[in-house]
Amino acid sequence: MLPLLFAVTEAAHEAGVIEKFGLDWKYVVIQTISFLILFGVLYKFGIKPTIATMEERNQKIEAGLRNAEETQVRLTAAAQESAQLIKTAQLEAQKVVDEARKTAKEFADRQNAEATTRAADTLAKAQQAIELEHKKMLNETRSEIARLVVKTTEQVLAKKLSESDRAAYNEAATKELTAL
Amino acid sequence: MRGDKKTKQLAKQLFRLSLANGQVSPEQVAGVLGYIEKTAPRHALPLLKLYQHAIVTELAKSHARVEHAGPLAATTLAQIAAALTKKYSRPVTASAQPNAHLLAGLRVRIGSDVYESTVAGQLTQLASAV
Repeated sequence: MLPLLFAVTEAAHEAGVIEKFGLDWKYVVIQTISFLILFGVLYKFGIKPTIATMEERNQKIEAGLRNAEETQVRLTAAAQESAQLIKTAQLEAQKVVDEARKTAKEFADRQNAEATTRAADTLAKAQQAIELEHKKMLNETRSEIARLVVKTTEQVLAKKLSESDRAAYNEAATKELTAL
Repeated sequence: MRGDKKTKQLAKQLFRLSLANGQVSPEQVAGVLGYIEKTAPRHALPLLKLYQHAIVTELAKSHARVEHAGPLAATTLAQIAAALTKKYSRPVTASAQPNAHLLAGLRVRIGSDVYESTVAGQLTQLASAV
């Protein structure tokens, strides 16, 4: 800055400009010294602490950014771990569901088999009952027919047998009984 | 017919006393009844019932009741009595009893034995076989 001031001053002496503008070297020097003092005070108590604060802030920001990056990395790792856990859980859940389906299918198959067996047994028993009922009905019918035939025969014989027939039968019966 | 052990034994003894040559003798029976009337033993009524049952059973063994449908000749009855006498080895008498339900034939009852040759019996057997 001083070379510039000297250059300006020298130029003003050469051209007589300094006199035209009414400059006074004494005031200029005083102003310069005052400015320098003010600049030093401002630098020491204002600019330097501000720069230090900004440096500190920058360091904090950089640390924050690093933390953020580390957090991002950890978050990514956690996300991957979570995804892995979810995948594992899904696989296990799928396995459990498959086993449950398999068990349910086996239970249903067993139930169906038992139901089929029971139905077959019931059908067999029903058929046996029907056959027994059929045989019983046939026997009853046969017995009833035989009873009717015998009854009718008895009635017919009671009317148609003559005394000579009875006598002949009695004679044959006598021979049979005396031969015992 | 109820009676205690002694009454049954006495009835058996009296029954044995009523037999003569293995047959029920009317005289012996009259004597036994007279003895009972005279001595009046305990439980006389059950004793008499047991004695009567034994006599009736023994008489039934010696008498054949011939049920018949249709005419039955006296000679036929005699033939049956002779055959049963031979079979049971004791004198057997026979009496006829008409029974129209037999339709034709004879049914002979002697004691607890029954001999039957009747149309009704054969029809019953036929119905049972069917």
